[in-house]
Amino acid sequence: MKFAIESISKNSGRLGQLRIKDGGPELRTPLLLQTTKGGSIPWLSADVFESHVSQKPQVLQFTLSTMDQMTEALTQWHSSGDRGLSDYVGFPGHLNILLLRDPCETTPSGGNDRDIQPLFTRRGKESLTPERYMEMVASFKPDVYQGLCDADTNAESAKKRVQKSADRTEKFMHYIYEHRDKVESTLLAPIVGGYCTFARTQSIKHVREQPAGSYGGYILEGFHTNGLTATTLESSKLLSIVEHCIKQLEEDKPRIMTGAYTPLTVVELISQGIDVFDTSYAYCASLNFKALTFGFVQDAVEHVPFLDITDEAIKEEFKPLLSNCSCLTCQKHTRAYLHHLYKTNELLGPILLMVHNLHHYMAFFEAIRQSVANDSLPQLIELVRNQNGKSQVDYSISANTKVISKATMGKGFAAAAV
Amino acid sequence: MSPSKIPPLTYKVVAECSVSKARAGLMTLRHSEVNTPVFMPVGTQGTLKGILPDQLIELNCQILLGNTYHLGLRPGIETLKKAGGLHQFMSWPRAILTDSGGFQMVSLLQLAEIDEHGVNFRSPFDNSQCMLTPEHSIQIQNAIGADIMMQLDDVVKTTTVGPRVEEAMERTIRWVDRCIEAHARDDDQSLFPIVQGGLDVPLRQRCVSALMERQVRGFAVGGLSGGESKHDFWRMVDVCTGYLPKDKPRYLMGVGFAADLVVCVALGIDMFDCVFPTRTARFGCALVDSGQLNLKQPKYKLDMEPIDKDCECSTCKRYTRSYLHHIATNESVSCSLLSIHNVAYQLRLMRSMREAIQQDEFPQFVQDFMRKHFKDDSIPAWIREALAAVNIQLPTDPERKSNQEQKPKTDKRQEAEEQMATS
Repeated sequence: MKFAIESISKNSGRLGQLRIKDGGPELRTPLLLQTTKGGSIPWLSADVFESHVSQKPQVLQFTLSTMDQMTEALTQWHSSGDRGLSDYVGFPGHLNILLLRDPCETTPSGGNDRDIQPLFTRRGKESLTPERYMEMVASFKPDVYQGLCDADTNAESAKKRVQKSADRTEKFMHYIYEHRDKVESTLLAPIVGGYCTFARTQSIKHVREQPAGSYGGYILEGFHTNGLTATTLESSKLLSIVEHCIKQLEEDKPRIMTGAYTPLTVVELISQGIDVFDTSYAYCASLNFKALTFGFVQDAVEHVPFLDITDEAIKEEFKPLLSNCSCLTCQKHTRAYLHHLYKTNELLGPILLMVHNLHHYMAFFEAIRQSVANDSLPQLIELVRNQNGKSQVDYSISANTKVISKATMGKGFAAAAV
Repeated sequence: MSPSKIPPLTYKVVAECSVSKARAGLMTLRHSEVNTPVFMPVGTQGTLKGILPDQLIELNCQILLGNTYHLGLRPGIETLKKAGGLHQFMSWPRAILTDSGGFQMVSLLQLAEIDEHGVNFRSPFDNSQCMLTPEHSIQIQNAIGADIMMQLDDVVKTTTVGPRVEEAMERTIRWVDRCIEAHARDDDQSLFPIVQGGLDVPLRQRCVSALMERQVRGFAVGGLSGGESKHDFWRMVDVCTGYLPKDKPRYLMGVGFAADLVVCVALGIDMFDCVFPTRTARFGCALVDSGQLNLKQPKYKLDMEPIDKDCECSTCKRYTRSYLHHIATNESVSCSLLSIHNVAYQLRLMRSMREAIQQDEFPQFVQDFMRKHFKDDSIPAWIREALAAVNIQLPTDPERKSNQEQKPKTDKRQEAEEQMATS
């Protein structure tokens, strides 16, 4: 993996070029990874993604917690040809990175044993030893993989838990550094330690003790426990601990933070020097029937962060989710139709919503890269913060708990009958 | 000539099989040309499960089916009217056919009762007494705006016998007149009457000849595929197509298993619909010539072949059985992937039949299909009889297996059919 910084500025973060593998495409950072579940972009077939979201090569973010059951099949897949991991999930030509935890769902807490890292899968809790983990990485053959770590911490974690996460990670990583030659994939060094500067420093120190060539980048974890928890973080707390970490990291390696951070948090983290994020925020919004509508192009109009698809008020709004949006959903379908698909619990609903939300979020990252390039990130942060309104907008996502009430249905024939 | 002067449905036979009753035709509707024989995927609530309209167009799907009962409940007629009809509402530019809503009411609502006025039922929402009359059904279908609509018919359980069958048939004829009378958009939409008459040949004949006296542009054959024996099923289809006029399309309601499609095309049916291909996709099943693959089975875990290496669909081009095995019923994208394949399978089967008819090679096609479809199992007697009735002889099975061995397959099939009949 090769990473080159194009420019760094004091307030606008850094612009970089990332080549994940030789002969592969050169990607620009700040970069967005495509979050997947079970290897697929949620709700979207590869065909729909490439026809209606993007034809550019993506970096797919695979998670062991949603793909561990494929280990045996992947061993067979790799032994019977030279097709790669992305080919297996229907995305030939795309790059990939293997992580442990699914950023889309809240990771259960606990189960941390001294020598074993819990992995929460669809089938329940699995136990990973560093040995087993490296075997699985060898079976998956991802382009990039993260180091095994205990990231079971958040802002509420007790000091003891935070310290343990750093200690255990060190122990796991000791084995991984020693055996990393057994796989060809690029390693991401995990930085853990919750919100504790001491534990973070310890974690970073252990990484920095390794020869520089032993890992290709950093992954900063342990700020939240995935799912919606990442959308409700207290950003001042997060930013100060991230700032503490960044100061101690080597400049020439990409820094990755996964999870559904809000658009505002993302731009703030970018201004601090984080390089890589993922699309789990777009997933979380879609899952909870929210269309992303926040503005990121300088204009004088006030924007709202979301359109709530469950809102009865859009039942007969025959206009796009977002005017001027060029995605398939906004070009061809109406708010009323999306609302109908929600009411009838039809699978096309989340598909159309995800097409829009991914399109919007990817366009947002395009705008971010431009702002970083022309050193205007602070203006973008301002826009994202207030959306041209008087106060800071709320980007947090709460779980949709509405029950589709039959009373709100049309009466259908009953209405027509006398 | 302004478009409104062209009838909303024209049909012409483009080729006929010189052996059987099979024919290939071209039906021209307001929103699309439709090559027949055609399979119409079912998009009950204004969407085909997990498939984008663009993907359906790419599969060259020309006509979809919508369910009046469901659309009447959600989004409701007022919303559909404001949207400018179902085509606009769901952004589907091609043709749509809607049913009358009567079948769903009788099958979904246990309290429905039918009398001369219409179908009486209690609203599932506020339990108030309601009635669906032939006039209401047509008003709703006029609002939906489908290219083809169905009359409200008096539906009885397929296996019913006795005077009730005759009453239902006679009432269906009386109701078609009320439907025709109520139909307000005859320049845009075509109303099909439905041939009823249970499993009784003279009743079916009487029904067909009475309906033929009406000014209609096509006919549906109803009251079948509801648990009757296959022997009765094919004979009723054969009787109906024998009496129906050749210059109008014939639609057999609710039939969609591959072998049934092939037999009924041979018997002279032009249009089919069935929820089976998309429903079975949700359970992780993929349609192939030899039947269906249940991809959840462990034997597919390490199978690196596509579902069908000759299939051109986007699923078969990219995905292995192994990957689909792992995500089927777990990740919702699997439902889209298998639905795409299954709809593509049905449409490809119909296209192959059309081509075979046009090249006058249909009997050969039928023989090849049955050989692939039943492979080592013997071909059911009803299929042999039905095809023999239209002069297609199937070669005798190389080695007949005992009835015992066939049984499980028949049972499974029966089960699937019963499951469908109750939906």
